[in-house]
Amino acid sequence: MNGSATIEVLYFARIAEQTGTRAETQALTAPIEAGAWLTALVRRYPGLEPIDRLKIAINQEYAGRAALIHPGDEVALFEPVTGG
Amino acid sequence: MVIVQTERFDVAALTERLQAACVGRAGAYVHFIGTVRDFSPDSGSRSLFLEHYPGMCEREIQSLCAQAAQRWDILDTLVVHRVGELPLGDPIVFVGVASMHRSQAFRACEFLIDALKTRAPFWKRETLADGRTFWVQQQLADARKAAAWDEPAAPHSSHTG
Repeated sequence: MNGSATIEVLYFARIAEQTGTRAETQALTAPIEAGAWLTALVRRYPGLEPIDRLKIAINQEYAGRAALIHPGDEVALFEPVTGG
Repeated sequence: MVIVQTERFDVAALTERLQAACVGRAGAYVHFIGTVRDFSPDSGSRSLFLEHYPGMCEREIQSLCAQAAQRWDILDTLVVHRVGELPLGDPIVFVGVASMHRSQAFRACEFLIDALKTRAPFWKRETLADGRTFWVQQQLADARKAAAWDEPAAPHSSHTG
């Protein structure tokens, strides 16, 4: 993770259809709150609205909107899960 | 143990596996098996596709099993969840719990499937008979049922015998 200036972003299910990709590398040089990151992301992918329902995971653990995303992290964005 | 796989599972083999791990210690086994049902009875389903987040899925279910073991007096758990294309009627998920006493196993098993449905990163996409597809939405009832386990009145091991 040290020295990295990017994050690996993963999209799943309908979110992957809306963004048109399942994974992408994004530039990130300083920590950012998950909520701020998502707000910026929606400007690129307006189809993600409404965003309140969306879940974020940082390094494979659920994260709240105030959690910090650090350079080198794996960040995932998805809709409420429907397994079982 | 937590297993995510595409292959159909053999329920008898899974129950035997759980029992073999608890011979002489367990007095009760509770198993839940979820199967593919029709999510849109009016249009007619053809099949269900299950996508998942590899890695996080296993971690999340493992964490739920650890929570169950802390909360109830259970001996072992076995969770198997399938992904990929599944026809109607096929088994999707197996949740097995071993315990000395049945009440502990029943409660832990119900907690595990309730929590799995709202925490484990799986997503269902249904294909209708006419070829249309849609992503299944999380049910409010499922979210409420899972949240109820966090309420003070939820059953804990101290209430059971």
